[in-house]
Amino acid sequence: MNVENNKAQMRKGILEYCILLVISGNSCYASDIIKKLKEARVIVVEGTLYPLLTRQKNSGLLSYRWEESSQGPPRKYYELTDKGREYLSELDKSWDELVESVKFIREK
Amino acid sequence: MKITVSINIGGMAFHIDEDAYAELKVYLRSLDRYFARESSSAEIMADIEARVADLLKSRLSDNKQVITIVDVREVITILGTPEDISDDSGTGHDRLASTVYRRMYRDPDNRIIAGVSSGMAAYWRIDPWIVRVIFIIISLPGGLGILIYLILWIVLPEAKTTAQKIEMKGDPVNIHNIKDSVRQEFDNVKDKMNL
Repeated sequence: MNVENNKAQMRKGILEYCILLVISGNSCYASDIIKKLKEARVIVVEGTLYPLLTRQKNSGLLSYRWEESSQGPPRKYYELTDKGREYLSELDKSWDELVESVKFIREK
Repeated sequence: MKITVSINIGGMAFHIDEDAYAELKVYLRSLDRYFARESSSAEIMADIEARVADLLKSRLSDNKQVITIVDVREVITILGTPEDISDDSGTGHDRLASTVYRRMYRDPDNRIIAGVSSGMAAYWRIDPWIVRVIFIIISLPGGLGILIYLILWIVLPEAKTTAQKIEMKGDPVNIHNIKDSVRQEFDNVKDKMNL
């Protein structure tokens, strides 16, 4: 058993959840999402985010629109689809359950 | 004084130092290969290039109009190498084993005629003389070897840039061996000019 490996596996699990959470607040540009995830120390390097965003978009959880930018080419703004919102509320529920379970065992 | 190259990343034009360009090119190619198994790898790369353009642009000002190797390295640190990304997303290193990439080139540094034999030897990781002797042997009866040599001379591109030379040798392309071979090239130039 390797601690680093285990930590990475845990992070992998919550990474998708965190991305959906960030986007659920407001439609946002990739670098807004990155900033939030870095602050929360969920990701270390930015390259991690892009394949995940594309996968979530392909599975219909996210959509994006192009918006003009004053300092360069147009940018992609991501937002949750209805399916994404449903998916997120499922994840919210299972996250709460997980936290409860761990708390229960830790306190015993 | 340094030579700069102009490049287009994410629809924006940049002037970039030659060494910085070599490093950025190898970096983007390593990501491209890393994401190759994703179904939308082109889209992922377009997003990443747009981000690279953003980050590079933030490093320019009226007093600094050229992207240097330091800028490129900072951007690589922020975006992460394939190794960093795979650590970060918890996918493990198994995917990275296949990212070692080799291509056959003509090797201008060890050539006798056109570098065909030395290039093939670098690709197969054998001594160039083994290839040369084989060429000589199959040339003796009817000159077939000479014909094959000429065709390969035409077909194989010469390894000119740092990135190509690394590809030719099939080392895993990373920042360390680029640095090594840039330094080696620099020493070669110094030798030639008797500095």
